[in-house]
Amino acid sequence: MQNFFNGRPEDLVHFQSTMQTIEHACSSIQMHTNPAVAEATILSLRQSPQLYQTCKFILENSQVANARFQAAAAIRDVAIREWGILSADDKRSLVSFCLCFVIQHASSPDAYVQGKVSAVGAQLMKRGWLDFMESEQEAFLSEVQMAVLGNHGVAAQFIGINFLESMVSEFSPATSTAMGLPREFHEQCRASLELHYLKKFYCWAQEAAFSVTNKVVECDSSVLEVKVCDAALRLMFQIMNWDFQLSKNAHERAINVFSSGLRNYVVLLKKSECILVQPGSSWRDVLISSGHIGWLLSLYGTLRQKSSFDTYWLDSPFAVSARQLIIQLCSLTGTIFPSDNGQMQELHLVQMLSGIIQWIHPPDIISAAIENGKSESELLDGCRVLLYIATLTTPMVFDKLLKSISPLGTLSLLSSLTCEVVKARMAENTKEETWSWYARDILLDTWTTILQPPDIGKDAELPPEGIRASACVFNLIVESELKDASASAFDDGDDSGLPQASISAMDERLSSYALLARAAVDVTIPLLTKLFSERFTLLYHGRGTSDPTCTLEELYSLLLITGHVLADDGEGETPLVPEALQAHFVDILEAKQHPVVVLSCSIIKFAEQSLDPETRAAYFSPRLMEAVIWFLARWSDTYLMPLEGGRQSDGDCQHESQPSKKALLSFFGEHNQGKLVLDIIVKISMTTLVSYPGETQLQELTCCLLLPAVVRRKNVCAHLVTLDSWHNLANAFANGRSLFSLTATHQRSLAENMIRSAAGMRNSEASNQYVRDLMGQMTSYLVDISSDSNLKSIAQQPDAILSVSCLLERLRGAARASQPRTQKAIFEMGISVMKPILTLLEIYKHESAVVYMLLKFVVDWVDGQIVFLEAKDTTIVVSFCMQLLQLYSSHNIGKISLSLSSSLLSEERTEKYKDLRALLQLLKNLCSKDLVDFSSDSSEAERTDIAQVVYLGLHIVTPLISLELLKYPKLCRDYFELLSHMLEVYPEKVAQLNNEAFAHIVGTLDFGIHHQDTEIVNMCLRALNVLASYHYKERGAGKEGLGSHAAGMMDQGGKWQEGILSRFLQALLQLLLFEDYSTELVSSAADALFPLILCEQGLYQRLGHELIERQMNPQLKSRLANALQCLTSSNELSSTLDRINSQKFRKNLYAFLGEVRGFLRTM
Amino acid sequence: MSDEEHHFESKADAGASKTYPQQAGTIRKNGYIVIKGRPCKVVEVSTSKTGKHGHAKCHFVGIDIFNAKKLEDIVPSSHNCDVPHVNRTDYQLIDISEDGFVSLLTENGNTKDDLRLPTDDSLLTQIKDGFGEGKDLVVSVMSAMGEEQICALKDIGPK
Repeated sequence: MQNFFNGRPEDLVHFQSTMQTIEHACSSIQMHTNPAVAEATILSLRQSPQLYQTCKFILENSQVANARFQAAAAIRDVAIREWGILSADDKRSLVSFCLCFVIQHASSPDAYVQGKVSAVGAQLMKRGWLDFMESEQEAFLSEVQMAVLGNHGVAAQFIGINFLESMVSEFSPATSTAMGLPREFHEQCRASLELHYLKKFYCWAQEAAFSVTNKVVECDSSVLEVKVCDAALRLMFQIMNWDFQLSKNAHERAINVFSSGLRNYVVLLKKSECILVQPGSSWRDVLISSGHIGWLLSLYGTLRQKSSFDTYWLDSPFAVSARQLIIQLCSLTGTIFPSDNGQMQELHLVQMLSGIIQWIHPPDIISAAIENGKSESELLDGCRVLLYIATLTTPMVFDKLLKSISPLGTLSLLSSLTCEVVKARMAENTKEETWSWYARDILLDTWTTILQPPDIGKDAELPPEGIRASACVFNLIVESELKDASASAFDDGDDSGLPQASISAMDERLSSYALLARAAVDVTIPLLTKLFSERFTLLYHGRGTSDPTCTLEELYSLLLITGHVLADDGEGETPLVPEALQAHFVDILEAKQHPVVVLSCSIIKFAEQSLDPETRAAYFSPRLMEAVIWFLARWSDTYLMPLEGGRQSDGDCQHESQPSKKALLSFFGEHNQGKLVLDIIVKISMTTLVSYPGETQLQELTCCLLLPAVVRRKNVCAHLVTLDSWHNLANAFANGRSLFSLTATHQRSLAENMIRSAAGMRNSEASNQYVRDLMGQMTSYLVDISSDSNLKSIAQQPDAILSVSCLLERLRGAARASQPRTQKAIFEMGISVMKPILTLLEIYKHESAVVYMLLKFVVDWVDGQIVFLEAKDTTIVVSFCMQLLQLYSSHNIGKISLSLSSSLLSEERTEKYKDLRALLQLLKNLCSKDLVDFSSDSSEAERTDIAQVVYLGLHIVTPLISLELLKYPKLCRDYFELLSHMLEVYPEKVAQLNNEAFAHIVGTLDFGIHHQDTEIVNMCLRALNVLASYHYKERGAGKEGLGSHAAGMMDQGGKWQEGILSRFLQALLQLLLFEDYSTELVSSAADALFPLILCEQGLYQRLGHELIERQMNPQLKSRLANALQCLTSSNELSSTLDRINSQKFRKNLYAFLGEVRGFLRTM
Repeated sequence: MSDEEHHFESKADAGASKTYPQQAGTIRKNGYIVIKGRPCKVVEVSTSKTGKHGHAKCHFVGIDIFNAKKLEDIVPSSHNCDVPHVNRTDYQLIDISEDGFVSLLTENGNTKDDLRLPTDDSLLTQIKDGFGEGKDLVVSVMSAMGEEQICALKDIGPK
């Protein structure tokens, strides 16, 4: 290689000395002496005048590896920064220097330096990719190709492959390094590489691997050739990970052509990551028809054979990369296969399967070997292959694949494999996540993929073996779950956490179980019934004589499993009875004998026994009750009084005529057992609320899951409100104190559910009366206590605080249940407590918890009511809210809390933050009146000016929000959301604000555009855009616009205050040119900048001029002047504010920043 | 002898009237609780079970509202806990005496002179400086279970 520097002696001396300084700095960092200084020295390298030459010199000559590493890093940083001003020659020479350097020093011992230089080379190559001509790109890469194919020796071959790996990772947007360029650049690079080089790279890697295969097979695993082969496989794997885009369009067109035996890729992907590889038809020759896969499989097979005595080989890097590539190749799909009804893909999958069958078959022997110390990674990878294949095929094809090479079907293999894994899991008896745990998860995902009900019109029929296999797997799984349960029954409950959390963590696993069970309902439902009845008998017989704990825990887990098998999670919708349960059991005529009915009835009958106090004490532990409540909630969502004939409109006559289905659907219907079961459910709920004092988890499930499930549907509510049991509950709620023992949140949701049940009343009149009856006692209590002459001393007593808090929570719950039907009663409820609320706010001003509840009630009440209110009522509500704000503000402004404890102080700050958030929410809710309004009258005169009110509210609240409090991200976001919304929607009101209020707003906007959170900056920029546009348009129409706020004015001290627009024009330019920000912001900054420039032409000219004058370098000066010129004139930008112009300006700004930011920021 | 006994009883009575029993499960964060005879603000509540199928119990972490010491307690959640009666009263500050006592104006026009200034230096200077500058200061006094302390300060401003 030629010498890069034209060796003037004084330069050489200079380089030498710099090198020594850097070397010294590097070694002192390593020894940790004075690291800060050393770091500064190394960073200063980036400022040195002859940087490239110096760094090259260091790379070529330094003996200290770290110094070379730092030099490479410096080249990278500076080149990326200054790329725009480098000459074409410089760019080329930098890239080729990196390339030559790594190839030449291929066998250098410090691999990390080579790695760094090759990464730098790849990054610079990408940075210049779009500037280089095609011939130049080719020239670089042919150099690399030479190395990869082995022309420069094995070491260089390895380095070459590594270089390609870095390139592929740089060019793939997901893994690329940030370069401060728009996303479009990365996209273009990606597309170009995919089009021109990706396949070539793959072929080179193939050739490289071929060239060393013999050596690899013959020699032991330590030779360099193995490393080369490993690197080549890794590169191929990486290329197979590429997100292929070019083939996508063509592919989508081809969907209809080949969809026979092969599933489309829109499959819900489970926990195990499963990415389908769709490189497109152009890859067919390389991957499919070239025998590449056969070679790969046989290479792996041969080496596996050879190393069968080496226990570590399976986890060696080579084996891992080979398996990864094999898995990746299993997931090939799309147009790479011709449209031949999937035949070629099937052949491909058979080939893959026959290659990996040894990894997983025979399962029992492999499982035993793993228990004896064999590595499990091959088995896990084999399971992954099954998962991928299942993703790509229908159950029929999946099963057929293996039959072509062995007597076994794939489903049988999958089933015996799953059974082995579950058995291994049972034998292990630990909670740790062992191999069988991972394998079970992957295999369950595979089952889920196979059994998932397909979209309509797809073929997903399961072969008979599949049904037998699922039954068998489910059987074993339930056995293992029960064993787990009874083994863990005596564990300490401390680690279990919320039942809700543990249930949802198990949810995924349980829903795979459910799919398995539903695939073979004939066997599994009776099995579950049998397991339940065995345990019930055990409980009854052992009563009083033996400890039931194990049985209780088994019942707990059976309830969870059965809940999943019988019903789907509705997530707020009404789930239907699962198709598999509807369609089977055709020969059952009597509803009572339907296995699903039998199972459901046996569980409900068992649950009903919890009503008897003695039985309850004997074996209905809180935990078992939790499972019962959870089950009842899920079950009743689906089965309790289903909307009969819900699906009749499908024209599904054949199914409709099926008597067993009808029997199942109507058994728990409104005219059959439904009402009876509903009564039982309400009684059980009452029991958990009253007879399990302090069991908050159980009560949470009752209030937040079971009761919502029964009040969700109107037809159920209609029966609910006629039940005596429901009346008892309502009575206890409205008049008794027994339910005061529930915690606050449960009070709230209980109230919400009680009010919601009003939907079951005949008409709106009755509903409103029902609400009044429920809430009347409570509001009058609040009115009474607040007008008590002795209030001051009573109020502070703990029992008074408890009652007030409970009632407020209930009112809040009721307010949240506002619906058009009950709106009137809830409005009256709120009106009647308005005065008490202000009184209580005064009395409890030191009791932050009560204050927060008061505020939250008002927030929720206004939220539910505001859209319905007529003008008169709106005025009442609005003025009440303003009084509330004023009062809160007067209590808190200027207040200093004294406390010895820092944690109490920070608690207090958190409370303040929550209060303020509530107040902002209140204002936001008021705002919505202007957007959605259902009131009937439209007389403008009476109307409250909502915008005015909200600005007034902001004016009251803003002083309470200190910069300290804005550090709470949620508060900050809420505040800016509201502020930018107000500015955006009502810019005209800004002009009417007084100076003090206006200064507040400007101050916070200023704070906002320098915030770290891009979302907040975005909101502020949007607000600026609207303000400036408003001003510009108004001025254009000859009006005031923002008036004195825009023009600037004298403040009280006689100092000239700049107008808002000029102030933000400067701030924004400063930000864009000299500060750090995310590139996402550029387009919204452009939208704000454009109207600002239009408003303040003169100032903008002056600023531009100053900027140019400050530039010393004449070359840069003219560049800057040109760029500024282009910013406002290119792309035929005109001075009207419309969409097209904004878009043009965005483009201009991108170009402008790309052109000048690089050097402006470094100068 | 009988005097002593009587004294003991009345003390117990006084304590009881200053607290109120409340079910442990309903006491939540930011509420008050008596732990080891001290009035505390609850800063953390967690629940757990005595074995999987046992009953719930609450674990409270409280901070003594007067001396800021951290105290902890575990109570079965169906049992009752003592909740202190915490009172807060606002008084206008009328004087600070040399020996570290403040003089406060009560609602009915009397003065209350038995309260010490807080011991913490920064709080002390805030009160002293504010008072020195002639600001109208209102102090909040928190009292519970027979103890009291200044807990907040507010400048109601020269209006």
